[in-house]
Amino acid sequence: MKRESFILIAALLLGVPLLAQSRPLTVTGVRGLTFGAVLPGVPRIILRTDPANSGQFDIRGPNRKQVLLSFVLPAAMIGPGGALMPLSFRAGDAGYSQSQLIGSQVGFDPRQSFTATLSNNGRGSVFVGGRANPATNQRAGAYTATITLTVTVLP
Amino acid sequence: MRRVFAVAAILTLSGAALDAQGVMVAPHAVFIDHRLRGGSVLLYNPGTEPVEVTISTIFGYPVTDSTGAITLRTVDAPDSTLPSSLAWIQAFPRRLTVGPRERQTVRLLGRPPVGLADGEYWLRMVIAAQAGRVPISGVADTTAIQVGLTLEVRTIIGVNYRKGPVTTGLALSQLRAQIVGDSLITRARLERRGNAAFIGTIRQTLMDSAGRVLDSYQSPIGVYITMEPRLVNLISPSRLGRGRYWLRYEVVTEREDLDPTVVLKAPAVRDSVQVVVP
Repeated sequence: MKRESFILIAALLLGVPLLAQSRPLTVTGVRGLTFGAVLPGVPRIILRTDPANSGQFDIRGPNRKQVLLSFVLPAAMIGPGGALMPLSFRAGDAGYSQSQLIGSQVGFDPRQSFTATLSNNGRGSVFVGGRANPATNQRAGAYTATITLTVTVLP
Repeated sequence: MRRVFAVAAILTLSGAALDAQGVMVAPHAVFIDHRLRGGSVLLYNPGTEPVEVTISTIFGYPVTDSTGAITLRTVDAPDSTLPSSLAWIQAFPRRLTVGPRERQTVRLLGRPPVGLADGEYWLRMVIAAQAGRVPISGVADTTAIQVGLTLEVRTIIGVNYRKGPVTTGLALSQLRAQIVGDSLITRARLERRGNAAFIGTIRQTLMDSAGRVLDSYQSPIGVYITMEPRLVNLISPSRLGRGRYWLRYEVVTEREDLDPTVVLKAPAVRDSVQVVVP
């Protein structure tokens, strides 16, 4: 926070035209979605309330600011030789917490947008779980995909 | 069975050991005056790894769906009926790398067409930043499945370009409210007036039949065209006894998160509705 304040003050002194002068918005990827050990043909489910394996994004911004949260979710991960491993996300796989505590989330469907309000001190966290669905003949190797969280500042 | 164990894997989507990564964006709303025709956004990387950032622009404005949830309506190719500045405001650079604990500035330059009418014109700036990547490594068994998921964050902020006299206002109608469990749920139709977005705050006050204030709530709101937002607030105390209550609903052009000089003034609008707890 001290560092952010310093940067803001420096920006103001240098004449950066911050016409809307309030706390800036920072969205940070904190923890990735971790599936752990899986077996071919056995789906692996991670709950958004899983403190070790769920994905987490932290948001810092103006107090009580409204933001619109939406995800771009991959349908599959791409592996060796173009092999695919399906991923799926269902209603309730995402959660939002003003207190940033994983145990006090309001669940939402990551496939739809969700309006969140930052806390009285301008904080919030987004948690996400999901399902990996390896096939019975899933090819070995490295699989990759990208999960995107879009934070739209309202208005 | 052996094959099963051979293929069994550690599936890690970006890994628990992810270094926190992201980018700070300031300000979170940009207002450009036609006389200056430019603005800027500061990006700061508070992390320890460089962050690749891509800048783009879209046209969109908040609306509500049939349930009252707020969404961003985007239009790929806005026509002349929409107050879009997408065609003539440029952001640069479009790609940049922000080093650890470094800051960089993205500039916005307006080149409006000759004869542009007075009013407010909108676009949204999209700041896409890598938010973390876990290297796929560390599994000695080459028959294993390994998965690494790159996290990306897109921050979308509003850019409002104002030319000449700009005015705003609001018409409030169809106010309704109900108490469901421990929540007060309200909806109202908000229609913007004037030639600029109405940026303000909804203030709600719940009173008993004697006019005593039981609770009050505030929600920031931006009405670009028309919307009918559904607001849900927890009631304190959590349970109201049977009876009749009043909800006072007021929308004012006040915002604590914005510089008052960029918030257009307009008369407050208000209404009240009775709420019955059976």
